[in-house]
Amino acid sequence: MKRSMSRVLQSTHSRRDVGRQAVALGLSLPVLGGLVGLGYTGAYAQDGGAVNLASNASDPAVRERLEGLINNYNEGGEYAVEINTTEHEALKQAIRTYLASDSPPDVLTWFAGNRMRFFSNAGLLMPLDDIYEANGWETAYAEGIRSVSKDSDDLYYFVPTSYYHWAVWYRPSMFEEFGIEIPENWDQFLGVVDTLKENGKVPISIGTLAPWTAAGWFDYLNMRVNGPEFHIQLMDGEVAYNTPEVKDAFGRWRELLDKEAFLPQPEAYSWQDAVTPFAQGDAGMYLMGRFIMDQFPEELQDDLDFFRFPVIEEGVGLGEDAPTDGFFAAAQAPNPEGAKALLTYLGGAEAQTYLVEQGGSPAVHQDVSLDLYDDITRRGVEMLQASDLIAQFYDRDTHPDMAQHGMSAFQEFWNNPDDLDGILDGLDEERQRVFESDA
Amino acid sequence: MASASVTSDPYVYRKRRNWKPLRIAFYYAFLIPLLLIWLVPIFMTLLTSVRSLDDITLNGPFSWPSSFEIENFSEAWSSGGLNRYMLNSFIITIPALIICLSLSSLAAFALARFTFKGNLIIYFTFVGGSLLPFQILMLPVYQLSNTLNLYDTYWALIIFHGAFQIGFCTFVLRNFIRTIPGEIFDAARIDGASEFRIYHQHVMPLSLPALAALATLEFTWIFNDYLWALILVQRDKLKPVTTGLASLRGEYIQAFNIQFAGTLIAVVPTVLLFIFLQRYFIQGLTMGSGK
Amino acid sequence: MAEITARDVSSFSGTTRKQYWRDIHRLTPYLFLILPIALYCAWVIGPMFYSVWMSFTNADGISRQDYIGQANFRRLFNDDIFWTSLLNNFKWLIAFITFPIVAGLGLAILLNNDLPGTRFFKAGFFSPMVVSTVVIGLVWSWMYQPYGMINEVLSRLGRDAMPIGFLADPEIVNWAIIGAALWRQVGYVMLLYLAGLKNVDRTLVEASRVDGASSFQSFKDIVIPMLQPVTVIIVVISVIDALRSFDLVNIMTRGGPFNQSSVLAQMMYIEAFNNYNMGYGAAIATVLALISIVFIFAYLRRMLKDEMEY
Repeated sequence: MKRSMSRVLQSTHSRRDVGRQAVALGLSLPVLGGLVGLGYTGAYAQDGGAVNLASNASDPAVRERLEGLINNYNEGGEYAVEINTTEHEALKQAIRTYLASDSPPDVLTWFAGNRMRFFSNAGLLMPLDDIYEANGWETAYAEGIRSVSKDSDDLYYFVPTSYYHWAVWYRPSMFEEFGIEIPENWDQFLGVVDTLKENGKVPISIGTLAPWTAAGWFDYLNMRVNGPEFHIQLMDGEVAYNTPEVKDAFGRWRELLDKEAFLPQPEAYSWQDAVTPFAQGDAGMYLMGRFIMDQFPEELQDDLDFFRFPVIEEGVGLGEDAPTDGFFAAAQAPNPEGAKALLTYLGGAEAQTYLVEQGGSPAVHQDVSLDLYDDITRRGVEMLQASDLIAQFYDRDTHPDMAQHGMSAFQEFWNNPDDLDGILDGLDEERQRVFESDA
Repeated sequence: MASASVTSDPYVYRKRRNWKPLRIAFYYAFLIPLLLIWLVPIFMTLLTSVRSLDDITLNGPFSWPSSFEIENFSEAWSSGGLNRYMLNSFIITIPALIICLSLSSLAAFALARFTFKGNLIIYFTFVGGSLLPFQILMLPVYQLSNTLNLYDTYWALIIFHGAFQIGFCTFVLRNFIRTIPGEIFDAARIDGASEFRIYHQHVMPLSLPALAALATLEFTWIFNDYLWALILVQRDKLKPVTTGLASLRGEYIQAFNIQFAGTLIAVVPTVLLFIFLQRYFIQGLTMGSGK
Repeated sequence: MAEITARDVSSFSGTTRKQYWRDIHRLTPYLFLILPIALYCAWVIGPMFYSVWMSFTNADGISRQDYIGQANFRRLFNDDIFWTSLLNNFKWLIAFITFPIVAGLGLAILLNNDLPGTRFFKAGFFSPMVVSTVVIGLVWSWMYQPYGMINEVLSRLGRDAMPIGFLADPEIVNWAIIGAALWRQVGYVMLLYLAGLKNVDRTLVEASRVDGASSFQSFKDIVIPMLQPVTVIIVVISVIDALRSFDLVNIMTRGGPFNQSSVLAQMMYIEAFNNYNMGYGAAIATVLALISIVFIFAYLRRMLKDEMEY
């Protein structure tokens, strides 16, 4: 009985089975084929004029601007540029994997200064001296900008396109209400803090959830107390953190902390969150880059202005933070001619004018007319042009590992100002470790 | 003892329809407020997704909205790129699912029905591997993808997810196949069926509940993966919804409203899957207990 | 594989039918296993060993990868951030194996019925699991702000003191983040227990009630032991998830303030991808894996015992 039943099963199964198998095979082949095809389109296609631009312009406005610019370029040029956007913070981590892969993007957005040098030192970037010469960029870009586009061997690796200024932003209406004058030195600045406090306002808003905002304060305090040259030496790891000069700068910081000049519990706020009290009129000042204008509500833009960070020590020279953004090309770029052509365009006055007209940050090219800027931006550029040195901002000027520990240290200082010596000693140990191992 | 296997009789610990109305009232009186409080963060997400950015900045995230921008959703979909990201998520998830389930069932069958040297060791390797912290895989997997020229392609993610999830799926399927009565196999073998045919014709159909459960679970996990998409895929047009959404976060401006709107859209497939296949989901999670 | 019938087999010269089947049997499992094992080794097992090897080098992910012996580990054990992270992981562990289990079991028992609307309750409590961790991190960060929802509620309830800096105060930041993670985890555990409860044999419980046990007693003495297999799984999963936790820490505080909320996964990520210390990052990952393996081993040993008994 069992055997006959199983034989029945077997025979019916075999016919149905073959049929089913055939159908399955027939269906799966095209699916598989499709998948394989997808895989290939996924792989990087290298036909002729395609250029892959990896961008960190994830802010909606910035992204639009760049896309507009590239569209213009694609219409006229012989190369078809494709933009691939990564979230801004994520690109800082991901760029390493992109550059080290076998088919990196051709051109990438990035920052000038040490952040760029890290990659050029590792041989991952394309030298660009030929473009600089061909386009006369030695005269088109200011000295300070060019020096941060070079490597330590004095070769160009970076095409700067825009920069922006940092300053202390304030609400003119509030200053007027309390009769406050723009402070020009440290004592006056402390006076402003006192006045605001007496009137129940938070003198300075800040959000240190992402700790780089605290680094902004360090940059300026250090540059104003010890001079920009000292600051750069510190960034390069040539002087120590636990020196009296650095402690001096922290001392000024301490003065502000003792006066409770800052928004309470800043570690709980992102810098954007901290704009809210500033916009609502609960806080009077905010040390930030020009992009705060984009976060500030539309209807209140008229009541927003800035002044230069006050002088602390006379005669040390005025250094300003002006992070410079731009582009570079991968050494292993699949399309080097396309990359260079694109870079030539991006570094030129036409492209940079376009970006400015669309509301972008100030351009670096000298030929871009200052009249294109709104009043605030123009004064910001003039302030930068009048400065003695342009720094790139803490986490771009120094080694990323160092910056990581430095910013933690600033947060820790904010929490335990009494432990300054211990914190600086620990920080210097890190400095020695980081800059020792760097070639 | 009942086992979670081919046939399971859903056992309800105490049939509640015999409760007194008072008890039922207390039941709801307790649960409904609890649930509402529990869901506050989700409500916040919803609220934020329909506000304008200026509104959020000016009035803080908690104020009652003074704007209503349902366009945030359409903006997330089109200019936010969500339409492409969603498609990519499916392109990645479904093949990975197929690879994982087919290979796991092969392995599970072998491990469940045959005694051979190394059976337990192999089984334990699969189980152990599924519990590893993925950080230990991050760098080598990236380098491997690079070497194989898979970096920045759909295949990098498809193959990785397909491979990694084999661990968990083999674990579950192997325990499940163990519960299939041996007579079925004996009968088939007597008929002279090859092992592959037994697998094909008996094991697979009988494992459908387990496969459905695993498919549901795995879909959710792979669809929601963020880290690997970040590491292995660079170009925008290949990004799944997780990293795609993140690229809406700017350096300076975080368009929370659009981001949240995008997240809510991205959640829809998983939620739908869960609602309709709740039963399989739950089954899938308990298969592992194997008893 | 062609279909082989008993008739064909006996035509093979030199082999009896029995021997043939034995040979096939010996090979077959391996044939089935080739592809899965190959893929798994290439993408999971292999990379794991490679990472361990990398932890003995000074790899920076770009240019160099030289053997430096134990230097990374020595540096690790002297690194304050490492010990802080380890301690924080421990806090996560304790939290994950206590609260969600109690709350999850409670909810599961409560919801283990077929009253109308129960399905929605289940879905509701589980919903945090399907929302992206990015959004969860952001929303909870808002809720924790000094002038955010939670402080607002507290002040309405009569609290006068300064608002609590949930994410700013080094003492409580970890628990604040863990709170958000638990909110997410409870629904998951609830679901597991719901499934587990379905396997509890009703007849035994009813028998005990007939014998005069109170509902609490029968719960304690019958149901809980029957839930043991599920509980074991839940504990293991909870431990692993606690050790793996990265998303929320990264989004809510990035390990701050000054590394006080850092966990090993976060530390590894920063070291490897931000500071370009791949070798060091691999060392952290290795330590993380070792800790996990301790628990994995314990679980496997238990499974082994069960296998042997089977």
